[in-house]
Amino acid sequence: MNILHDFEYFKPGNKKEALELVKKYGNKAKVLAGGTDLVIMMKEKMIKPDYVIDISDLNELKGITYEEGKGAEVYACTKVADIESSEDLKRKYPALAYAASQLGSHQVRVMATMGGNCCHSSPAAETPAPLSALGAKVVIASLEGEREMPIEDFIQGNRRNDLKEGEILYKFKLPEPEKNSACRYGHIGLRDAMEIDCANMAANIQLEDDKETIKKVKLVMGSVAIKPLISKAVPALLEGKKLTEELIEKTGEAAQGEAKPISDVRASAEYRKDVIAALARRLVKEAYEAAKEA
Amino acid sequence: MKKKIVKLDINNHVYEVLVSATDLLVDVIRKQIGLTGTKKGCGQGDCGACTVLVDGEAQLSCLMLAIACEGKKITTIEGIANQETGELHPLQQAFLDHGAVQCGFCTPGMVLSSKALVDNNPTPTEEEIKHALEGNLCRCTGYVLILEAVESYVDSLAKGEV
Ligand SMILES: Cc1cc2nc3c(=O)[nH]c(=O)nc-3n(C[C@H](O)[C@H](O)[C@H](O)COP(=O)(O)OP(=O)(O)OC[C@H]3O[C@@H](n4cnc5c(N)ncnc54)[C@H](O)[C@@H]3O)c2cc1C
Ligand code: FES
Ligand code: FES
Repeated sequence: MNILHDFEYFKPGNKKEALELVKKYGNKAKVLAGGTDLVIMMKEKMIKPDYVIDISDLNELKGITYEEGKGAEVYACTKVADIESSEDLKRKYPALAYAASQLGSHQVRVMATMGGNCCHSSPAAETPAPLSALGAKVVIASLEGEREMPIEDFIQGNRRNDLKEGEILYKFKLPEPEKNSACRYGHIGLRDAMEIDCANMAANIQLEDDKETIKKVKLVMGSVAIKPLISKAVPALLEGKKLTEELIEKTGEAAQGEAKPISDVRASAEYRKDVIAALARRLVKEAYEAAKEA
Repeated sequence: MKKKIVKLDINNHVYEVLVSATDLLVDVIRKQIGLTGTKKGCGQGDCGACTVLVDGEAQLSCLMLAIACEGKKITTIEGIANQETGELHPLQQAFLDHGAVQCGFCTPGMVLSSKALVDNNPTPTEEEIKHALEGNLCRCTGYVLILEAVESYVDSLAKGEV
């Protein structure tokens, strides 16, 4: 099982060369970033690309920038460990930095990239839910130019996304957090480390100037549908109101009503539904309290 | 399968090895170079036995293509003891002193993960040590002795003893 099939390996020296190779070899090629998903998929013979294009060392595709009032840009090949430890991200987008710290193990985080996490498009992935709750957009590059879209439109289903032949994921754009807002992330798995989430969730809450009335909510659930699921019921329930114990209870029920989990080796659908309610109650409360202090 | 000569800097020694694109770093280190301290457990990124340092960071050699490692500095467990005297690295000694080694299969990975942590953060908390070692599985020691070994190394580092 551990023997890889034969492929040709390329290590382009810059982004343009990478895009030329990606265009030339189309769907016969796979891009290699951290390899933590790709190498395993090749070992298990789930995919057999003829060409592997290694973009992991391209400086143009790495790094995190933040500008007060404008927001952050995170390049696709930035390591998950660098997202976990970035002071700017911890301060401005703690839900994302925390989610990064919960991905795999230290070794996996040192190798894995956020671009890879989103392009692999697993329903259980750690970073898409907080990215979506934070309003992140992806920028996709090809030789023809760039295009951008919200992360939730980019991910289309299990291992399916909007990347077309000749394109790579270039970077993520995170808007400056709204005034009086806070976002929180949580996940439940079988154990603390190295597990694949049986459910995860991010909640972003913005308050009115009174710092009590909820102006906007974005609640995103992971691992309970084929792609990150954006709640419609929870904003309908909470917007325009002040959070009460009763509303917290109802929030759990509303999120649970929308989740469409499956049963698999990690958890039954029934258990996932319970977990979704608990996560929604906890995260909405936490984000609300944090937004008051923001 | 096309092969290519690749220069790998392992433990400050440059090895020229003939590899194909599909050769994994762990296999090249063990079978071609003959450094068998690096262990191969799951081959899936789960157990941490194959951990080596790449440019000072703990990484999994079972998920890395050897050909992708040209130009990087790789350190295996053989590379951290004193090369001239053969004296163990104080972290290795701490593992021995605390009974943190039983069958030893996880030990190279545990030691290298701990070394990467302490090199970056010489005063880690217990939680930080656990977080850094969560990708290294041990079937024998139950982790407590491993944690004690790392903590004692951190202590002696703070006291300037090592
Ligand atoms: C032991 C272990 C535990 C794990 N635990 C978790 C976990 O808890 N949570 C979690 O979310 N994930 C987990 N993962 C999965 C994996 O580590 C992540 O999904 C990781 O972020 C993938 O990034 P990568 O850079 O390694 O991607 P790669 O494996 O290099 O690539 C993944 C896919 O994305 C494509 N790709 C990568 N970058 C780009 C780009 N810039 N443009 C276009 N396509 C691209 C590749 O072609 C490939 O199809 C785990 C993996 C392992 C081995
Ligand atoms: S052999 Fe590499 S993590 Fe298990
Ligand atoms: S000592 Fe045997 S696996 Fe850790």
